[in-house]
Amino acid sequence: MASAADKESEKIIPVPTSTSPPPETKGLAAAPPATSAGYFPVVNVVLRFLLFASGLVSVVVMVTSKQTEITQIPFPPFRAPVSAKFSHSPAFIYFVAALSVAGFYGLISTLVSIYALLKPSCSTKILSHFVIFDVLLLGIVASATGAAGGVAYIGLKGNTHTAWRKVCNVYGDFCRHIGGSVAVSLFGSIVLVLLVILSIHSISKKIPK
Amino acid sequence: MESQYVVEEGRNGMRSEKEGQVMVANKKTVRGSDVVLRFLAFALTLVAAIVLGVDKQSKVVSVSIVPSLPPINAFLTAKWHYLSAFVYFVAVNSIACAYAAISLLLVLANRGHGKKGLISLIIIILDLIMVALLFSAGGAALAVGLIGYQGNSHVQWNKVCNAFDKFCQQVAAAIVVSLFGSAVYLLLVLLAALNLHKKHN
Repeated sequence: MASAADKESEKIIPVPTSTSPPPETKGLAAAPPATSAGYFPVVNVVLRFLLFASGLVSVVVMVTSKQTEITQIPFPPFRAPVSAKFSHSPAFIYFVAALSVAGFYGLISTLVSIYALLKPSCSTKILSHFVIFDVLLLGIVASATGAAGGVAYIGLKGNTHTAWRKVCNVYGDFCRHIGGSVAVSLFGSIVLVLLVILSIHSISKKIPK
Repeated sequence: MESQYVVEEGRNGMRSEKEGQVMVANKKTVRGSDVVLRFLAFALTLVAAIVLGVDKQSKVVSVSIVPSLPPINAFLTAKWHYLSAFVYFVAVNSIACAYAAISLLLVLANRGHGKKGLISLIIIILDLIMVALLFSAGGAALAVGLIGYQGNSHVQWNKVCNAFDKFCQQVAAAIVVSLFGSAVYLLLVLLAALNLHKKHN
């Protein structure tokens, strides 16, 4: 009998609420949410892994964006090889730092949510703490994307009012790397928004009406 | 077995009643802070949008076009819409301001009957999108303003803040105010999430 009950409790593992109702009503109370909330932990893990992947990809693409071109330098006036690196702009340095943090957090939270998937008893507690970090990370990643995007836009178009020349006609490869990196980080911030919405939706579904 | 169920039910009923009281008390305090925070967000984003939106400085600047020739005095104007990052900043702050006003009205209208569900979920999601937009706008304006303040020697982007000092101070003030506004939005989302979690337990 005990082993059968154990098996039953193992069967409804994806239900994070399985500890909150008393054991007598478990079979009755936990059955309806099992179908609606069953997909949630899996989607959670997938989104967190996507966050990790996007952080990693955008950092790698940004760091490998060095390009050296022979260009005309104004003083002294002759042609010399000049390289463009991401570390020449503080906005891109901030971008690399922020996206590294986001990727690292994505890796850790993926591992923790896989652990919570296997042991659902601690799931809600972990979830509520992750929402806080998710929102903070969303702010950091969004600001990094905005900063890098703003600087890259000036590099792409230039600005005639302040006499900032565009650089992307010379450093095309560099600019493509930066554009790709910013696009991937934009995807990462969308993933973070989805993660927070998913957590809030799953918590609000579980509230007894 | 049946008697057990009855006892269980009775206990559940008592507990849910108590929870209901706690929930009502919670809701009152949270709703009050919610309204205050929304008003704060409205005011901060409005101030940020206006401060950057009226930013303009005209000045006689000595410009050296060719290094060998002596500099020429020219009458130049710095306006906020010359830089696309600032345009984005003002647009996002105006959107956040309008949304704060609308959501404030919605929250106040929903106050009497504690109807949770779809509207509160939509408000939380829109708050979240405002967090993302405001932070990205703040980051963009900050990065471009930093280039204006320090310049960038690698790509020969000269600084402009030594000439247009008042313009740059106004930009900095707008960015700081807008960052406070985005922090308020972040607090709103966090409070909503924590409140939901408290209700759940």
